[in-house]
Amino acid sequence: MVEIVRERGEIEAAKEVDVVTTGTFGAMCSSGAWLNFGHSDPPIKMQRVWLNDVEAYTGVAAVDAYIGAAQLSETRGLEYGGGHVIEDIVRGKEIEVRATAYGTDCYPRREIETTITKDDLNQAVLCNPRNAYQKYDAATNSGDETIYTYMGTLLPNFGNVTFSGSGVLSPLNNDPNYETIGVGTRIFIGGTQGYIFWEGTQHAPTKGFGTIMTVGDLKKMNPRYVRGATIEKYGVSLYLGIGIPIPILNERIAKTAGVGDENITTNILDYGVPRRDRPIVRKVTYAELKSGKVEINGAETPVSPLSSIKRAREIATVLKEWIERGEFLLSQPVERLPRDREFKPMKQPFAVPLVRDIMTREVVTARADSSVESAAKILAEKGFDHLPIVDEENKLVGIVTSWDIAVAVGKGKKKLSDILTSKVVTASEDEPVDSVARKLEKHKISGVPVVDSKKKLKGMLTSEDLSKLIGRRRR
Amino acid sequence: MTRKVLLRYSRDKAEEPILASVIRQTDVPINILHADLGAKGGEILIAIDAPEDKVEKTISLFRELGIGVEEIKKAIELDKDACIECGACVSLCPTGALSLTKDYSVELVEDKCVYCEICVPSCPVRALKLRKF
Ligand code: SF4
Ligand code: SF4
Repeated sequence: MVEIVRERGEIEAAKEVDVVTTGTFGAMCSSGAWLNFGHSDPPIKMQRVWLNDVEAYTGVAAVDAYIGAAQLSETRGLEYGGGHVIEDIVRGKEIEVRATAYGTDCYPRREIETTITKDDLNQAVLCNPRNAYQKYDAATNSGDETIYTYMGTLLPNFGNVTFSGSGVLSPLNNDPNYETIGVGTRIFIGGTQGYIFWEGTQHAPTKGFGTIMTVGDLKKMNPRYVRGATIEKYGVSLYLGIGIPIPILNERIAKTAGVGDENITTNILDYGVPRRDRPIVRKVTYAELKSGKVEINGAETPVSPLSSIKRAREIATVLKEWIERGEFLLSQPVERLPRDREFKPMKQPFAVPLVRDIMTREVVTARADSSVESAAKILAEKGFDHLPIVDEENKLVGIVTSWDIAVAVGKGKKKLSDILTSKVVTASEDEPVDSVARKLEKHKISGVPVVDSKKKLKGMLTSEDLSKLIGRRRR
Repeated sequence: MTRKVLLRYSRDKAEEPILASVIRQTDVPINILHADLGAKGGEILIAIDAPEDKVEKTISLFRELGIGVEEIKKAIELDKDACIECGACVSLCPTGALSLTKDYSVELVEDKCVYCEICVPSCPVRALKLRKF
């Protein structure tokens, strides 16, 4: 499709191509399955239930449970979890079921242990709140230690890059305006046919991070496309294959489906920084990521796709064959997915204080051409330890501490310009204080000037301000 | 071709400078890939990069000096049936022994492996196994 659009344009492509098939095969933690066990005799209203020692959610009616892909085994830790249970159900393996209950007049039984296979279950329905991210950020690590994340193992000092998603093959990337993908769209899921039933959680189409909720009959799935997985020192998950056909109804869709990997961009984020909004290391195209090497700070860095590009292609091909053989009928959505959703951050009971909340705003400053003597006087009078040096526009040019002054007096230096430190560690007003505390510790300093993006001085934050805050937090 | 050999040292041989003397006598480049040797003896995995006859000579020399010698044909294994070709392992491999081909299949070139083991636990479906020796 990309070639046809490139060579002949979207108008011709729209006339010529009927359907584009897409595919993705990656870790989709927000997956799980609804299971119905049927009633025992005497009957039990399951309060808690475990499948191969992995707990499933039973806060619904008596013998329904939801096994989540990311739930850990209580006996095997990260080696086995909900994703593995789901794979084992698909494979037809025997699953040990154990349940407890408080007992009621109508459900007197208090515990049960049995083994089941998928044939014993009334329903086994894969029902996933968030799948098939349109695209996702890539990851690297600036820190000096290996870290283990949901983006896989990240080697220190930008040692590698990992990414997820299949770029040009990504289902949602081919129809980012959600003209053909909507509620009721029939899809390939886990090797069988299923549906999209809603927007996915965290659906953020305006930012290029759309997601979908999907559903399909687990009993009919193929283990080739449903695999339990362990993400080292992070958790368990489910690798799942999803494919969506995109009917090329008009030139607009032809155009979006004709965008190649070299024009699909994402950001490489620094997972070495443990914040919600991680710093962007650089922008990158899926073409670069798929080439296996990207440049970071001048060095060639090896790349790992975490979702299988080969199997994504295979899924798109299988879907194509189904359609050609008439086994898979394209469906029109009964409702379109929202195109204006925002993904909001968590509402927290009290926000982590920011620098602006506790910094000292009345800061005494000096100019670089002032004398050491006058600076000494100011610091002594006010009892300050830090004297930020600014220019006529109030931009920070350096800092002088009471220690620097003492040394300067001893050496007979006269001007502040001779003794100021121009490489200053600074903070910004909207930085969380926890991050400044780490800066002070790391650089072994006792205070930082607070500046805006133009380096204009806004205030000072010292270790004293921080200890006062901690005192208050404890109380 | 590079051949990999596992040397087994008994307790009484652990202190002797056997490797050095073999290198001196054969003048063959020997690369130590992995060593687990203490006062009680242990094992060293080496790669010998030399023509067939020289490798044989080196091996027999080790034997003469009382070292157990086992040629390692395969110590890291990629289970192609289990592998989902996610590529998680490839950017971790320090030597390029694991790589993605043009069609995004995963390939393991045993000769380049130094048995660092970093790939093994990072495989989400446990398709990589290091043979215990
Ligand atoms: S053990 Fe180390 S060198 Fe060998 S394949 Fe795995 S990562 Fe590469
Ligand atoms: S990490 Fe495992 S599953 Fe993924 S490509 Fe490597 S061997 Fe295959």
